[in-house]
Amino acid sequence: MNTSEAKKILLLYRGPVDDADPQFAEALAEARRDPELAQWLRDQRNCYDAIRSKLRDVEPPRELASKIVGTRPIPFHRDLNRILQLAAAIIISAASTAVSMKFWEQKHHRIAQEQEITVRGEILDMTCYIANNLSGPDHAECARVCIRNGLPAGIKTQDGKVYLLTGEPGHSVNAELADYAAKVVTIKGRQTVRDGFAQLQVEEIQKL
Amino acid sequence: MSGDPEFEELVNRYYRDLYRFGFSLTGNEADACDLTQETFFVWARKHHQLKNPANAKAWLFTTLHREFLKICRRQKRFVDESAEEAIENAPEVSPDCVNRIDSRTLLRFLAELDEDHRAALVLYYMEDLAYKEIAEVLGIPLGTVQSRIARAKIQLLRRLSEPSAAAGAK
Repeated sequence: MNTSEAKKILLLYRGPVDDADPQFAEALAEARRDPELAQWLRDQRNCYDAIRSKLRDVEPPRELASKIVGTRPIPFHRDLNRILQLAAAIIISAASTAVSMKFWEQKHHRIAQEQEITVRGEILDMTCYIANNLSGPDHAECARVCIRNGLPAGIKTQDGKVYLLTGEPGHSVNAELADYAAKVVTIKGRQTVRDGFAQLQVEEIQKL
Repeated sequence: MSGDPEFEELVNRYYRDLYRFGFSLTGNEADACDLTQETFFVWARKHHQLKNPANAKAWLFTTLHREFLKICRRQKRFVDESAEEAIENAPEVSPDCVNRIDSRTLLRFLAELDEDHRAALVLYYMEDLAYKEIAEVLGIPLGTVQSRIARAKIQLLRRLSEPSAAAGAK
């Protein structure tokens, strides 16, 4: 290998990061033998370091990291199984409560207490809210998707009480509620309490 | 929103380097911020597809580059000069030539390069990625990466060796 050939190869040599790359081995050996080539290589390296240093002088805006962290989408796919498990648990719990209540009603000829109320609060995607305490505008898109896909929806009132929102028997209100995900609305409906679990059968939705 | 320590750690580890890569590709702060942010958004949505977590850095750079290619328009092309010819005509540039210019001028010179060559050259200079990893980030063969870097480097060195370079003039 002559000096010219070695230079062609060493033009891409950056230093320690390339030391393990076998394509440079012979040319580096040549540079160790040839003082002129060694000097040329030192100049190349210094030039490389100077350019690298200038490029790394560029600093991002201070708030960029917090902006990224604060506005990241929910990694829905990663927790899909967990979310589905929780959704199934909520549905099973609600269903078993309903069955128990029906049984109780039949046994005692009584129905769960019903009361027409109007509440104001934020529409929640119950699965993410219960599992991860996620709510608010940052979580709006995920909540909208979850509710539209049929996962349980709820409303959290200003005094912190949470109701599971349902439609009339056999009728889902998720399609209507999805558009209000994470928004504050007023809902008029029939409240029932089963085993301490508050539900609201939606009759009317009003956005603030 | 509840915090995700893993995500925050990832952001804090790589956002500067990704921003610099984005800034070098686009030449402006707003686009670099958008690219960096979009890269982490893609990560949040799709990182479960990454089989080897050790490849996170390369994955992020690949993603940023893909996002850049989506928005960029090809404006400049290299003169059709082979890498061999380019290397034959490589100028001698001293570190002093580089030290005389500021980062902004250097970025302007980089912006004159074709975006494919620019991306390869920026990764060559800024990141401690092996050539094989740069090839993976850019999705091109190893030989193509090396020829692009060689040509782009020589074009940059030529620009730096011009008398007007130190003054920051075109």
